[in-house]
Amino acid sequence: MISVAVLALLVAVFGGLFAIQVWARLRLVRLAPGAFAAGHEAERSARFVREVVFQSKVIAEKPVVGLAHALVFWGFVAFAGYSGAQLLKGLHVVDLTGTRAFHLYMVALVPFALAVIAGILFLLVRRVAVRPEALGPLSWESVAIALFIAALMVTFLLDFRLAGWPAAVNWWAHILIILVFLAIIPNSKHFHLVLAPATVFLKSTVLGDVRNLDFEKEEVGIETLAGLEKKQVLDAFTCVECGRCQMNCPAYGTDKALNPKRLILQNEEALLAGMMEAKLAGVYDPGVLWQCTTCGACENQCPVGVEHLPLIIGARRGLASNGEAPDALGAMYNHLERRGNIWGLTSDVRQKFVESAGFETFDASRHDYLLWLGCAGSYEADFQKSLRALAEILRARGVTFGVLAKERCTGDAAKRTGNEYLFQELATANIADFEAAGVKKILTSCPHCLKTIGEDYRAFGFIVEIEHSAVLVSRLVGDGRAAPPDVVTLHDACYLARYAGRTEEPRDLLARVGAVVKDPVRSHHNPFCCGAGGGLLFEEHEEGTRISQRRFEQLQATGAPTIVTACPFCSIMLKGAQASANAATEVVDLMTYVDGRLKAASARAASPGWPAAGQRQP
Amino acid sequence: MKIAVCLKQVPSRDWQPRVNEARTWVRDAEATFEMNEPDAYALEEGLRLKERHGGEVVVCSAGPARVSQVVREALARGADRAIHVESDALAAADGAAVAGALADAMGGEAFDLVLTGLQSDDQGLAQVGVALAERLGMPHATIIMEVKVEDGALRVKRELEGGWFQWVAMPLPAVLTIQSGINQLRYATLKGIMAAKKKEIRKVEAAACASRQRIVNLYAPQKTKQTTMIGGSAAEAAAELVKRLRDEARAID
Ligand code: SF4
Ligand code: SF4
Repeated sequence: MISVAVLALLVAVFGGLFAIQVWARLRLVRLAPGAFAAGHEAERSARFVREVVFQSKVIAEKPVVGLAHALVFWGFVAFAGYSGAQLLKGLHVVDLTGTRAFHLYMVALVPFALAVIAGILFLLVRRVAVRPEALGPLSWESVAIALFIAALMVTFLLDFRLAGWPAAVNWWAHILIILVFLAIIPNSKHFHLVLAPATVFLKSTVLGDVRNLDFEKEEVGIETLAGLEKKQVLDAFTCVECGRCQMNCPAYGTDKALNPKRLILQNEEALLAGMMEAKLAGVYDPGVLWQCTTCGACENQCPVGVEHLPLIIGARRGLASNGEAPDALGAMYNHLERRGNIWGLTSDVRQKFVESAGFETFDASRHDYLLWLGCAGSYEADFQKSLRALAEILRARGVTFGVLAKERCTGDAAKRTGNEYLFQELATANIADFEAAGVKKILTSCPHCLKTIGEDYRAFGFIVEIEHSAVLVSRLVGDGRAAPPDVVTLHDACYLARYAGRTEEPRDLLARVGAVVKDPVRSHHNPFCCGAGGGLLFEEHEEGTRISQRRFEQLQATGAPTIVTACPFCSIMLKGAQASANAATEVVDLMTYVDGRLKAASARAASPGWPAAGQRQP
Repeated sequence: MKIAVCLKQVPSRDWQPRVNEARTWVRDAEATFEMNEPDAYALEEGLRLKERHGGEVVVCSAGPARVSQVVREALARGADRAIHVESDALAAADGAAVAGALADAMGGEAFDLVLTGLQSDDQGLAQVGVALAERLGMPHATIIMEVKVEDGALRVKRELEGGWFQWVAMPLPAVLTIQSGINQLRYATLKGIMAAKKKEIRKVEAAACASRQRIVNLYAPQKTKQTTMIGGSAAEAAAELVKRLRDEARAID
């Protein structure tokens, strides 16, 4: 009877410690402004099954470590019944442990126990001996918790063998470990055990989902810690400090102060310290908020559903709304406000291009697509070339298109840098133009326009079919393999590959025009950024190594003489890097490349002995 | 310091101007408008002086109701209040008439410093600033590249021809016409835009507009193309080309 009382007391003490710490955190979540996003339940549930139950994200990036973690996770879940039953037995509530069913359950748990021990030992060795940079300095708390978990398994296995007083000691050891574990969890990264299932479920279904500000409610962005929204507070307590965001961040990877993991941990620390009135930008290291390219790697790789982009852009808004954006961005905002494009050029430049390229003005009754030029397509000479190439490909295949008489920037750079007012002005004006022209299908060669029109404009109730040229042209172009073989490397643009998931179409298209693609490191869904996004195209001084230089070297290392990319800003950055490296490797836009290959193919086909190139045969 | 910044709304550079039937003005009913660029720099300079020395910035503009667009823009960037002399006739009036209308509206305010852009992007007369100084009875300096307020007086840097500058000391109050590029323009912030909605714009009726200049013929310059072959040996041709580029085309010096 005494043991029941002692156990009850211990449960009360440790359970109480757990509850107090959890409450302190959940209270901060409850007090935070905003609401958890709703909708898309089916998609969220499917993702929950994938990422929580099957641990897909954890495994995808680091298969061995991920599998070890999955073993521990599955073992843990399987053990909940065993440990729970032991506790109930000890408290004399009910004893299920003597039943035959329980014995079968225990037998079934044996492989789990072995798997957990194997997994935890592997992770422990990695943490203590290998010490990967991603994990930061060694924390003894993590080591203790790993040993606790292993001990839990050992006590379970001993349960089969022991009887009499050794069994009782073993039983107490098991129960005590659980109770101490309970009290440690909330203040450790292992709190993700409790919160991660929720954060993964609550995370937006769209990468980089930055809610529009409501000017009626006088929202100006996140200025102080008290302005962090519910999900952002939850994120701060969920982060498991795995460092995947950090190791995938192009800014961190080129020796800049920005480290996305550190932002989340600084939030956690400041929140727990109750610094609610502290300026958010002051919680972080100076300048880091303006070093983010919004490439999305951090958010996309995070295994526990932390959303970095709404945080970084939200904090940028808090600065931009007070006039604290960097000067180079201020100049760009003035260009957008006065001229409607990021470079501040006058519209006659675009007009001349449209006329010389022979683009008709869009007419919904005659044209299949509205061809959206974007700032680069309207004003940048190299990208104009790419649009001419696209037009030739389309015309040759009977696809009709027109352009708007006037265009203004989609507002991508304004949105990503936190100038929400300017973004909304541009967006509403563009949407009015689309609606007036009866636009149903848009074609663009710019992945940033793709994201902004296709996803951000939805917040204004404008839903349109929009496609990147790589996708449409990959459907249209048939066999261009008659051209002499060529080796290229493809730089996946963040906004096309990571955001829009279009990794196969450009490769498919390249293969169809006879190019052999050699992938660089960091390709497909997790590319290394070119350094242009998030307003960094306008950055005057870049700390550390230039991101574009690093990426150029990675692409160069494939040995391919040609770098192909399907984003105007990637082109600008990589060409810059190529020029400063004085390298022979050529940078070319996908459409320019494909058009050139098709022409080479038909030139060859015209000479005898080659099959005709042309439409894709059904 | 009580600073006035006079600014003008001009047709946007993005707009392709077309001349009206009477050939006296552009068809501005079709135009889009923006803040005259040198005036934007004058405003920025005013805001910076206020940040350094305290006081207020009052923007003054003369023209039709549509002018309120640039007035709001100026308020959003940080001007404290505005005076709008409202009159359709002032849209294309001469410098003296505009200066007169502005002086009448500003007269009662006792400004310490009046700033305006060097000239307007549409007419380019560069008259309003100097005429306004005359009407307000203040000294003036033009083409200003830097402004310093020291011991209640001004030291200003004027741009001369050929890359020369000149520092001028002058008393306050005064009128300065500001050259583009004197500073880096700030952008309109969300907070500034919200605050601008609550700022005062005092509307003033203009007295009958007394333009004494009349535009008799407005036309776009003719594009001409001329090709000249320069003969002689390569050395002679090169020397002749340099001479012509310098003396005729003025492309080099
Ligand atoms: S979005 Fe990209 S650049 Fe920005 S913090 Fe994340 S990984 Fe780094
Ligand atoms: S934010 Fe996500 S990816 Fe980054 S350290 Fe935390 S858990 Fe890992």
